[in-house]
Amino acid sequence: MDNNPVDQSAFGLSRRSLMKGGIALTGLSALSSVAGVTSAFGQSVPTLIVASPQTPQSLDSEFDISLGTVDAYGVLYENLIEFAKIPDPKVPGVMREDTGSYPDKPGGVNAVGKLAESWEMDPGARWAKFKLREGVISNWGNELTAEDVVWSWRRKFELGGVGLFYLATLGLTKPEQIKAEDKYIVSFSPENPNPMLVRIMANLFAHVFDSTKCKEVGGEEDPWAKEFLRNETASFAPYVVERLERGQQAVFKAREDYYGGKPFFDRVIYREVPTSAARVSLLRGGAVDIAQFLQPLEVIQLKNVPNVEVNTIDATSMLWIELNAVVAPFDNKLVRQAMNFAFPQEEIIKTVFQDLGAPLIGAMPWFYPSFTDQYWQYGQNLEKARELLKEAGFESGFSTTLSYNAGDPVHEQIAILYQSALRQIGINLELKKYPAGTFYNAVSERKEPMIFYQDNPWTPDPGYAMSLYFDSKSFVNYSNYNNKEVDELLYKIARSADESERVKMSQRVQEIVMEEAPWVFVAYPNYHWAHKTGVKGLTYYTSNNIRYQDLSRS
Amino acid sequence: MTATTSNALSSRPTDPAITSGPEVVGCSGDTESLTLSGERRRREAGRVRFFFAVLRKNPSFALGYIIVSVVCAITVFAPWIAPYDPMTADPSRYLQPPSWAYPMGTDSAGMDIFSRVIYAPRIDLTIALLGTLISAMIGSILGAITGFYEGGRTWRKFSSALVMRSADVLQAFPVFVFAIALVAVFGQGVSSVIAAIAFVNTPIYLRLMRSQVLSIRKMRYVEAAYVAGSPDISIIMRHVIPNALPPVLSQLSVNIGWSVLLTAGLSFVGAGVVAPLPEWGSMISMGYQNIVTGQWWPSIFPGLALGVTVFGFSLIGSSIEILSDPARRRVLAGTVS
Repeated sequence: MDNNPVDQSAFGLSRRSLMKGGIALTGLSALSSVAGVTSAFGQSVPTLIVASPQTPQSLDSEFDISLGTVDAYGVLYENLIEFAKIPDPKVPGVMREDTGSYPDKPGGVNAVGKLAESWEMDPGARWAKFKLREGVISNWGNELTAEDVVWSWRRKFELGGVGLFYLATLGLTKPEQIKAEDKYIVSFSPENPNPMLVRIMANLFAHVFDSTKCKEVGGEEDPWAKEFLRNETASFAPYVVERLERGQQAVFKAREDYYGGKPFFDRVIYREVPTSAARVSLLRGGAVDIAQFLQPLEVIQLKNVPNVEVNTIDATSMLWIELNAVVAPFDNKLVRQAMNFAFPQEEIIKTVFQDLGAPLIGAMPWFYPSFTDQYWQYGQNLEKARELLKEAGFESGFSTTLSYNAGDPVHEQIAILYQSALRQIGINLELKKYPAGTFYNAVSERKEPMIFYQDNPWTPDPGYAMSLYFDSKSFVNYSNYNNKEVDELLYKIARSADESERVKMSQRVQEIVMEEAPWVFVAYPNYHWAHKTGVKGLTYYTSNNIRYQDLSRS
Repeated sequence: MTATTSNALSSRPTDPAITSGPEVVGCSGDTESLTLSGERRRREAGRVRFFFAVLRKNPSFALGYIIVSVVCAITVFAPWIAPYDPMTADPSRYLQPPSWAYPMGTDSAGMDIFSRVIYAPRIDLTIALLGTLISAMIGSILGAITGFYEGGRTWRKFSSALVMRSADVLQAFPVFVFAIALVAVFGQGVSSVIAAIAFVNTPIYLRLMRSQVLSIRKMRYVEAAYVAGSPDISIIMRHVIPNALPPVLSQLSVNIGWSVLLTAGLSFVGAGVVAPLPEWGSMISMGYQNIVTGQWWPSIFPGLALGVTVFGFSLIGSSIEILSDPARRRVLAGTVS
């Protein structure tokens, strides 16, 4: 065969050289599939690989608020405005949203335009108008108009998903209250004054769809494009979804025609790596650029790893234990207070959180407007806890159950430490472990006497943040807490345009809540930004997600 | 009794083997009885000597018995051996490395790992023993009945076929996944894990016993009992099951080790016992995340304890398997004499 000239190709390729080439190509394509480092023309393109606990489950914000999905919204959708960015006072090189109160600006917010180029708000908070940028094109080639904004908000009315909460928060009761004034001006006019009209437009769930495309694909059968938007996007954002393999990875591709300019990273590969230890290993080994949601000890350890940088940032996250106010003995305020006095909060921050967090000493993130810690009255004091139990008629203690998420190692550590502390005051705490997949069902059923919960109110507003957890009608009020005065105050806060009045009312709510202790107050866990050296540009958002369009690599 | 067995009984048994079946030992008169008991003692002493000779010849078997004995002793004397309460968390002792004060270090809740490793067999062995014994009892009885009636023409044949096909269905599932599903149904806790282990092990004993009974039911002492008018249930309980037990007993040891492993596995994935009950699998699960950050001790020590214990049970299982096989016993007897 070797002597047969026909076996040698005209290009001098032998079988051996073909095999060698094949192996090399296979290796290269495998590498490309992992890192996506070469373009069709063989040129290197910037690709970012992110290891995260979960890929997006759905791309429709009405029906999914899971971890990966929330991350995806930040890059696949665009809002009318966003908060202005300021350097983080504690972490050099990291920006964060300016969530402060600015009474001289529309809506009291220091915002910058995204899809809107300007906006104004009625001083009495009865309406807000947004003038859209002209010539903004969606990933399907359609121009942004006021009709897109109207359609996006009407969708919330029609589908009855997550959007209902936002409609209620803004006091919007009829679709007609959102109106296209002309091609590029849209107005919001709720029934009652609402001070959050501008502020809430920066919320991750207040994004705008390309309604032309959605109507086109949905037709009459699916007028709100539910099916289409589960796996696809129709938006004006910097990235589009190129591939979504649930449970494995999502690939986002940068848009060349994004109105704000093409992002630095052409592709973002978002890999599902469920265990944090594995995410750490991948980052240490250089296989990923960013490892998300790490445990405190892992963060400490990564600080000593060459070529890896870790920053921990003050965040909106709050971790607490719900005390079910309709389940005995937690229907008794004194017992709830005793549970707080028995909680070894400081030691838990020091050990479990390795000081990468702060004690939760209030009813909302500590850097939100109107926050006060003057009503904080707890901290471990077993003698005081015993006295309160005695006063409540539980001198000899009682038995109860604390449920926690098997998927979060922090929960188990805290639960065991708390169990030992409670034993000292005669309370027998049984631990109940829920698999990660069913834990949130258990939380939302509101039947467990005690259950962990971690959340972060995305909109920096006291009314918004506290309504979520303490309004008796809120779907996130998982402790079944019910106080008429609190309900009335929250109602008024949501409708008052008088900033000083709002502050007073917000502080009164905090006073009542801290006194009535519907939670065991645990911690403000920090946000950890663990990445390869050279990846830079992070902005910390109150929604605790990375927007890859902010990042670049030096 | 099946038709096959009835046909086999058409000729009246005269073979002395019929009356020397393992459970049918005739005795009359005090002198004869004394002679027999003396003979029995001598036989037993001989068996013990043989047993120890086998252990000397096969040190790995001896190692198995030593390991299991030590684990059992630790289980009994844990409260006197453990220096700390195994379930008391203390944040001031958070993740301390091994030292004189804490020989195996402490875990992420500040609990002493040595004390927990010492206490863990109380949970692990209880679950494994109870789960295995329950499955052996249920499986053996079902297997005996199924085997005894197999091949018949009555509704009993249908029942035994139904039992065997049900066992096929149960065994078609991967054991671990099946156990997780059962714990999910029953709820988390020690009793659920016992139930799950009993459930997944039952088909093993069912098949083992059935295969034994299929041959034993044709033995002449069984036929004699039938001819003597004993009811089926009496024949099964008095003549069939006792004689089919040796392989079941040898399976028990292997199965206990395996059940310890399954218990630990279930706890590791969060479907077993609830923290902070000291249990090896749950301890490994609680500590494995720390390996990547350099704190190896919370999971390595319970892992070692688990591995050594399972190894011990499997060595004992191997020894029983050999000792209960007459052919291999004869070979061994030749080598140790």
